[in-house]
Amino acid sequence: MATRWKLPAFDWPMALAALGLVVIGLSTVYSATTVPGAHQGLWVKQLLWFGLALGAAWLAVSIHYRAYDSLAYPLYAISILLLLAVPLVGISAMGARRWLEIGSLRFQPSEIAKIAMVFVLARRFDDRKLDLTRFRHWFPPLVITLVPLVLVAREPDLGTSLSFPVILVAMYFWAGMPPGRLLLGLSPVMNVALFFLTGSLWWFGGVFAALLAFVRPKWSTLLVFLALNGAVAYAVPSLWDHLHDYQKRRIQVFLDPGHDPHGAGYQIIQSRIAIGSGGVVGKGYLRGTQKGLAFLPMRHTDFIYSVVGEEWGLAGALTVVLLYGLVILRGYRLALLTRNGFASLMAVGLVSALFYHIMVNILMTIGWAPVTGLPLPLLSYGGTALIVNCVQLGLLQNVALRRGEY
Amino acid sequence: MLAYNQEKRSKEQRFWTLAVMAAGGFALIAVGLLRLQIVQHEHYRRLAQENRVRLEVLRAPRGAIFDRNGVLLVDNHPSFNIVFSPLPAESLERARQVVHPEWLLRVSALVESDSAAVTELVRAANRSGQSAVLRRNAPFPVLAAVEEARSELPGIEVLVEPIRRYPHGALAAHLLGYAGEINDRELAERSQRGYQAGDLVGRSGVERSYEEFLRGRDGAEYVVVNAMGKRVSTLSEGPPLAPEAGHDIVLTLDLRVQQALEEAMAGVLRGAAVAIDPRDGGILGMVSRPAFDPNEFSQGLSFARWRQLSGGGSNPLLNRAIQGAYPPGSTFKIVTMLAALRAGMSQASSRHQPCAGSYAFGGRNFGCWKRSGHGSLDFPGALQHSCDVYFYQVGIKLGLPRLEAAARAFGLGDRTGIDLPQERKGLVPGRAWYDKRWGPGRWRRGVLLNLAIGQGELLATPLQLALLAATVAGEGRPLRPHVVQSVRGAAEFHAERPVQAGVAAEPVVWDAVQHGLELAVSSGTGTASRVPEVTVAGKTGTAQNPHGDDHALFVCYAPADQPVIALAFVIENSGHGGSVAAPMAGAVLRRLFAPDSLDREIAPVPLSVDTSEVLRGD
Repeated sequence: MATRWKLPAFDWPMALAALGLVVIGLSTVYSATTVPGAHQGLWVKQLLWFGLALGAAWLAVSIHYRAYDSLAYPLYAISILLLLAVPLVGISAMGARRWLEIGSLRFQPSEIAKIAMVFVLARRFDDRKLDLTRFRHWFPPLVITLVPLVLVAREPDLGTSLSFPVILVAMYFWAGMPPGRLLLGLSPVMNVALFFLTGSLWWFGGVFAALLAFVRPKWSTLLVFLALNGAVAYAVPSLWDHLHDYQKRRIQVFLDPGHDPHGAGYQIIQSRIAIGSGGVVGKGYLRGTQKGLAFLPMRHTDFIYSVVGEEWGLAGALTVVLLYGLVILRGYRLALLTRNGFASLMAVGLVSALFYHIMVNILMTIGWAPVTGLPLPLLSYGGTALIVNCVQLGLLQNVALRRGEY
Repeated sequence: MLAYNQEKRSKEQRFWTLAVMAAGGFALIAVGLLRLQIVQHEHYRRLAQENRVRLEVLRAPRGAIFDRNGVLLVDNHPSFNIVFSPLPAESLERARQVVHPEWLLRVSALVESDSAAVTELVRAANRSGQSAVLRRNAPFPVLAAVEEARSELPGIEVLVEPIRRYPHGALAAHLLGYAGEINDRELAERSQRGYQAGDLVGRSGVERSYEEFLRGRDGAEYVVVNAMGKRVSTLSEGPPLAPEAGHDIVLTLDLRVQQALEEAMAGVLRGAAVAIDPRDGGILGMVSRPAFDPNEFSQGLSFARWRQLSGGGSNPLLNRAIQGAYPPGSTFKIVTMLAALRAGMSQASSRHQPCAGSYAFGGRNFGCWKRSGHGSLDFPGALQHSCDVYFYQVGIKLGLPRLEAAARAFGLGDRTGIDLPQERKGLVPGRAWYDKRWGPGRWRRGVLLNLAIGQGELLATPLQLALLAATVAGEGRPLRPHVVQSVRGAAEFHAERPVQAGVAAEPVVWDAVQHGLELAVSSGTGTASRVPEVTVAGKTGTAQNPHGDDHALFVCYAPADQPVIALAFVIENSGHGGSVAAPMAGAVLRRLFAPDSLDREIAPVPLSVDTSEVLRGD
């Protein structure tokens, strides 16, 4: 008797949720480009890209993750070299130089660096004797993160560059760094952020005091972090005063896009009108009005979620959020279930990167985050982003397939 | 085993931490969606449907332009434009009214334009979502009629925008230039630099070369308009960006000099005149004929009128002072004389074969303008009487390379570097040029005779000729002609250093040349430019040209002992320099240096061009 054919042990809920998102993306790209004057037929191109992306994902699944483990450092080195090449031979568009072009394929090396960095960190943290309270254990990963962060931030691509520290923090945490220490380590960043958000240092003072009471660090650590935050608190306001007006304006636009009514601010207001006017059930597929008349710029790329919100209303927008939630939570669950340390850490890094991109894009469309130019994973039009996202999901399925192995 | 379980438990704890944080993030999105789509739904529905938000440009006024004494030459004034703003797609009812023939008829009647043009503008506006100007700078009766009918005409609005005003009309039109609305091609090229539809850009003159200083930065505000296209309010969500005005510019131009030049040139059909301060190269006045009124461009020109201005034989938009290249004629003898003297070939007193009205060379007879001949002359005398035969002989002795070098040292044959757009180079032919033109060795030395008296292939712009006179007045000091003295609010601006290195010659050489020029005015060919009590030094020129009658030329500077002004006149196809151009210079100088005139003082300005470090030499 022949053995009964069994489904491969993929994480099927995650795969189906992702497929659902791609389908929603394709149909929304179609809707967003049906307005007069738009580049029609882009959805066909996107469909072809999806075919390629599936192929790439299949490759990512079929190669055993041990290969990624052992190739982590070479991959990382290559990605850094590519990032270094960007300012020299990169393609610039809209004031930033972010792309490399090989033949007709255009891609952002920062996407490759992100995945390579996850491999390297997973490899380092996959160590029984790892103790992340010790300097020589936690410091090198910080440097590994800062190198691509600085290179990407200089392109400039602040949005993508901030995904690197997000991945690092998530993986520190998963690798066992005590949460209090992690927060203490992040305190200078919180310090600066709270200063710019509130305009005073008192907010951070309170948060920091509460944090110290919770963590109760050693005296030496306490002194180091008091000094560090003191220096930051002293330097930031005076640095601010020394900035040129145009530099200040850039930071203000980043924090409050209303400062730039020509560009970012206009997009956000139009996006909010599109989503808000959608109501509970939306205006109906292909019947959105704000996408027309050029009111909603980048409606098939960065602001595709606004079209979903306008045409499908709260119901559609929440469905998309639930599908993303499913992908993310199934991803973290994989990290919990898999027995191999490298695979588990890799899963957390990849899922956290996806989560960061989803949050930054959607919060931007509802006006709660600055305009950073990050596309929405799986939904936005754009071939290479789709391929990279499918590779990320393929790597997660790779882990799912072999979750029993050590 | 216990350790393993502990580790497993802490891993589970971490999983739940991550899961809760992720869920929290998605919950945050859900809260945002609830707020926008349920709580504020009505607000946004209205904005999307009944009303719509439009980004309106707050146009930045361009900088004003003043003469050196602070007299206003260009500024802005409000223009009331009748504008059509496209309607939101939802109000189909309204949109139907707009394409309705009755609407079209009424609107075209109101803006006094034909309905086909209005239809086209309205179509374009609806396609692009941008407003279209139906009538610029509408007069009061039209405005009143539109205001009255506006409530019945959806989409029609009256907007105020600054337009350019040139209070002196055609005065110095070529130097000031004009500004026009940006076109699609320019917009595509410049949108990165903050230009947007409806902005003005400098198209010629100072308006163009100082565009970056004159243009300000447009502001913007969000306005909520209703389905009738009528403003309801400004949207509080986006604070308006205040427009920043452009920089004001102060010219070296002196209105009194300019007016004197304009008057002297009043009857001229085609030609140009330039007045320059020989102390620093500042342009005191510049006239080109025919002229145009830049105010016409502010009103918006019809295509036919534009064709008329830019084309045809006379081409009024052409600034002949820097874009017209003419044979310099006898004014070039200044160069020939200086070249000969500084080469040491002939002393100021040396004489050549006397002039008998013509000169035989290479089997050809080269005539002097005075058929009866000048007899025997010395160097200053030859300049005084502009004797061709004398200069033929000088030219032959001098040779082509030295003549060419002297001409180039004066800045002929190259751009002077003036801060105005599209300056022409003129032409100084040398050996290489003739070799290329006729083939090596296939041209005769006879060309040298023509060059020595400023004929042949030589071409110079009136500005270059004024610079020639100014350089003689300044005894060879290099000058950078410039029209802008300062840019208010931009302290870093200053005139650039001269392009040429200056003309190197001994003081005795300059004395001889200057003496010859003074004689030419006091008792030679240029007596028509004499001024009581002021010594003028000048040189006439009558240039033959293949296009018709001779061009009349005159260059001069005054007062001869302490020059404050150098002039050049080129009057196309009008006859002799001495009888046509010199009297014009005389009229200008007599007016400026009249004994009872306050204008006698041309205020010296601090040298904005530093030439002290520039090495003397070619």
